[in-house]
Amino acid sequence: MYLLEHDAKELLAARGIPVPAGSLVENADAINTTTLPPGPWMVKGQIAAGGRGKAGLIRNAATPREVSEHARALLGTTLKGRAVESVRVEQRIEAAHEAYIGFLLDAAAGGVRVMLSASGGMDIEQAPRDLIQEEIAEPEARSLTGCVHRLALRLPADIGPAVRDAGERLAHAFLELEALLIEVNPLFVLDGGRWLAGDARVITDDNALPRQKALESLVKDRVAAYPDVARKHEHGFDYVVVDPDGEIGLLTTGAGLSMMLIDELRAAGLKPYNFLDIRTGLLRGETRRLAQVLKWIGEGKNVRVLLVNIFAGITDLGEFARLLVEAIGAAPQLKVPVVARLVGFGLSTAREVLAAAEIPLFVDLDDALAAVRAHLRK
Amino acid sequence: MINPRIDRTTPVIVQGITGRAGRLHSGLMRQYGTKIVGGVSPGGKTREVNGVPVFADCAAAVAKTGARASVLLVGAMQLLAAMRDAVAAGIRYLVTPTEGMPVHDALKAWRLCRESGTLWVGASTPGMAVPGEAKLGFLPDDSLTPGPLGLMSRSGTLSYEAGYRLARRGVGTSVWVGVGGDPVKGTRFADLVPFYADDARTGALLVIGEIGGTDEEELAQALTAKRFTKPVFALLAGRSAPEGVAMGHAGALVHGSHGAFEAKRAALEAAGVRVFATLNELVEGIASRLR
Repeated sequence: MYLLEHDAKELLAARGIPVPAGSLVENADAINTTTLPPGPWMVKGQIAAGGRGKAGLIRNAATPREVSEHARALLGTTLKGRAVESVRVEQRIEAAHEAYIGFLLDAAAGGVRVMLSASGGMDIEQAPRDLIQEEIAEPEARSLTGCVHRLALRLPADIGPAVRDAGERLAHAFLELEALLIEVNPLFVLDGGRWLAGDARVITDDNALPRQKALESLVKDRVAAYPDVARKHEHGFDYVVVDPDGEIGLLTTGAGLSMMLIDELRAAGLKPYNFLDIRTGLLRGETRRLAQVLKWIGEGKNVRVLLVNIFAGITDLGEFARLLVEAIGAAPQLKVPVVARLVGFGLSTAREVLAAAEIPLFVDLDDALAAVRAHLRK
Repeated sequence: MINPRIDRTTPVIVQGITGRAGRLHSGLMRQYGTKIVGGVSPGGKTREVNGVPVFADCAAAVAKTGARASVLLVGAMQLLAAMRDAVAAGIRYLVTPTEGMPVHDALKAWRLCRESGTLWVGASTPGMAVPGEAKLGFLPDDSLTPGPLGLMSRSGTLSYEAGYRLARRGVGTSVWVGVGGDPVKGTRFADLVPFYADDARTGALLVIGEIGGTDEEELAQALTAKRFTKPVFALLAGRSAPEGVAMGHAGALVHGSHGAFEAKRAALEAAGVRVFATLNELVEGIASRLR
């Protein structure tokens, strides 16, 4: 999960990594200017994506009044489809040198890519590669810190020691949090060698959530900030609203096939509402999961038809059809027609069950899509 | 070189055979033709499942059955330990369908397999199959018919759909490897290029990829470096996914331009791969070329 900068900084600060003093603001009217750290300030829109600086989500404020104005302007704006629901107001660090540290779990290299640079800042992606010192290390403490030490020696003498110290602490945080990415850019290096993490981009492993208590409670406490992760953690499957204005609700299984279906619908000019990997193999004869999904899809204000697409290797479609009909009965929120496309074992029973419920069933996906189109035209 | 080819004589055990999935799939694999010779269940009291003996650990299973491959149907948090048990017992072919393996564990497992020369397919894989011979995992029989097309996929369901439609059009598969949807995986697309290049029974290759990660870009490089001459077809899912959102597969998470759809398509096309936009076009394109 891609952590909001504020949450990333809190987690890093708890692991001995200094960050500029700051706090999270969700309501511009609630800013208490008397408790702000000494100014000037940065007002930073919190969304789980990069490129915030270039998009104008990070603003300087010289007075408390400007802090409020910027917060008010930023809250509610959207970038890359994500609404800014909070801002971090923090003390602006001036007259600091900007360096860069990154730890990236590099799947192709089978290790952790450690990256250090004496010059950080907004355009690190465009920086010449020889400005970045990097090496692959093993995912354990000795290898990571050894790597940090070696790389830091190649940096200028006035920057190297601060980057080494920061890198060592971040290496431990990387392992402790089971991170996929920790990037500190800029790393502020002050005169005298003191340093602070100016920004923090942290992506953690959702699979490790059950054994990462700090992250688990973050997700539980801030469901609104991490809705998809919270939902998956609670329910055990993936559901993402891809277009709040979407017209076609999707009841699908399998991540790849579900993504492909969304691609093909969009390419055909149709508007799918959600992504779903329900995992039919884990329904275990219960309607709970299906009813929950139907309720969520029912919340889509423009949803006008539900397309069920299940290619089941081993799921008994007869049983699935029975559960589906039962779940539809248990989800009165969903008031739209249903079109089903099923392939696999138990198809003839499924056909009888769905026919009794007056749900049209297709084996060919194109035929099902034609039926979906017909509903949208009505 | 990695060689995933197995046949009906390859002796296979199932770790976690006494669990719900273990019982079901050991039976289904055997029904397909896989030579299931035993199972492992640490501390369990069950002596037999589906007519095969159950052992306390892999060492005992290997000593009694001569098993050479293992399908691991154990929980995500137990997977690394179970893989260590198998490798310590000398098993050099592991298939791990388990979803949700922590990525740091996967990295440790990757190193273990690499250092011991173990072929690892997974995690989060539906498995692999040599149609007409044997399957390890749960690829649906309806999608498996013998033929000349090598198939490797990051997605289970999308490969079922493609394999099924191709089978109905008379195009079968030689060796099918579901590499799995996780970012750190035992076998990547690029790792399989030398095998498919040399395999006399593979005449063409189908790659089913998706956004996120760098598997497709690495594949493009490997095809070019190997001067791969057989036709290669590809289908990529996730063209319209939003940035930074995991669409079910841990691997399908786009960060910035890394792993984006267009970059993958461009890399594959530059390596001579024919990339299709829809399932129908893919099936028609391959069927007209191979039949």
